[in-house]
Amino acid sequence: MGKHLLQLVHKKNRKGALEISFGWLFAIIAGIAIIFAAIYISSKLIGSSQETISAETGKEISILLNPLETSFESAQTTSITIPTETRINNICDDFGAFGRQGIRLDQKSFGKWVNTNTMVYINNKYLFSESMIEGKKFYLFSKPFNFPFKIADLIYMTSSTKKYCFVDAPYEVINDISNLNQSNILFENCSDKTVNICFNQAGCAINVNLDSKTVKKNKTTVYFSGMNEDNYALMYAAIFSDKENYECQVTRLLLRLKEVSNLYKEKIISLQGIGCTDTLSASLDNLESFIGNSTTSKDLDEIAVKAAEVEEINNAGVCLVW
Amino acid sequence: MVATKPYRFFPHEFPFKFESCLIKNRKGQLKIQQMIFMIIAVLLLFIMVGLFFLSISLNKMQKEATSLAEKNSMLLVAKLANSPEFSCENAFGSNKPNCIDFDKVIALKRNIAKYSDFWGVAKIEIRKVYPNEGNISCTDKNYPDCGDLKILDKNVEILSYASTFVTLCRKEFSETGPYNKCELARLLISSQDKT
Repeated sequence: MGKHLLQLVHKKNRKGALEISFGWLFAIIAGIAIIFAAIYISSKLIGSSQETISAETGKEISILLNPLETSFESAQTTSITIPTETRINNICDDFGAFGRQGIRLDQKSFGKWVNTNTMVYINNKYLFSESMIEGKKFYLFSKPFNFPFKIADLIYMTSSTKKYCFVDAPYEVINDISNLNQSNILFENCSDKTVNICFNQAGCAINVNLDSKTVKKNKTTVYFSGMNEDNYALMYAAIFSDKENYECQVTRLLLRLKEVSNLYKEKIISLQGIGCTDTLSASLDNLESFIGNSTTSKDLDEIAVKAAEVEEINNAGVCLVW
Repeated sequence: MVATKPYRFFPHEFPFKFESCLIKNRKGQLKIQQMIFMIIAVLLLFIMVGLFFLSISLNKMQKEATSLAEKNSMLLVAKLANSPEFSCENAFGSNKPNCIDFDKVIALKRNIAKYSDFWGVAKIEIRKVYPNEGNISCTDKNYPDCGDLKILDKNVEILSYASTFVTLCRKEFSETGPYNKCELARLLISSQDKT
């Protein structure tokens, strides 16, 4: 009797246990593996598509910088609007014959910033901005930089979200900037919310001293210089960019100056063949050696003096080289 | 003391029980095989669909890259003549937009190795339009009596050319002294075809 009862209980327990066949178990495990693989692959795909979008937008921006090349205009202006909130990282590299300009874009996706690693490099552009600017609309303007001949067009980029206010700016600066019609640059109604730029006085976020040709910003000082009507091209560069970017771009500009100067020296040799006398080569050599390996904006003013001498000699010649 | 009942073996029962067990195992194995085949088929389907979408997106990306390269050439050609390595500046009198200094670009051709990646294009060429001097390629020996100056000529597959008309100026010799000579030319640019 007792043995019979024990057998009955055993049978009942077996019925109560979850009976899963091997087939089901296998299907569940395989299913889970497939689902995880699908999630992993789709997340990777989303990441790579974000990289692609960022690279494409970066390339588009670099292409849109081409029309900013000036001919005989004093400035060119344009704006770029990107549909999604974007961070433009400005990377400057002064390695090689000309150095290079890099752009890396991070965009907002589902309310979160997605950092990308894809860089777009442009060798023939000089973009002055803070190392990272954020927004949907970006204003750009360019000015030619002659030192003493044209070296490049300097491109200044700001975000529409950041407003700059010029306090007591000289007439030339007001004239230069107000013609650009950039809504984020003001000359009156400065407030705490705007980045104020003072001229020949202290107390602003950015202080410009036109006598010592310095721009003080975030406890750092950079130097600018210029020639003729383009006297302020590097000053704007110093205002709108941070020290690291500015110094790197100045080094790149000096590298290009040397290369363009070499082209002029070769041109002078061919001009001698048609009866032009060479009065410039020595002073161009002098300018080049003076620049030497200069990598700081501190030397700009002294280089400008030499450049002015070179320009004077060129203008006095019968055969103008530039 | 309880006496145990001796076990009686019925030989006719055994083969029947063994056979039913074998049939059950075979059915189970068949089901597992079916499952494995199904999973492999589903995986293959996923892989094929993935490859299909990958090829579509790669194709789209290539097209986008080509279109961007063409757009770059088009916008660059309109402004290249004003860049320092090409522009006349004030060497030929008054300010001349879209004016290329022939004496300077022939020097640029000699130093092109440094500039090979500078503009991000594969070919830069200047062809004289008027006066037409044919397809005589410009070298240091025949300059300026030539019609085609290949400034940058990378040995790669290229996209279609973008071009613009420019003034091509140089200094010429005369008995009264050097004078400026300007001709009509076309500046052509092409990007590398990476497809």
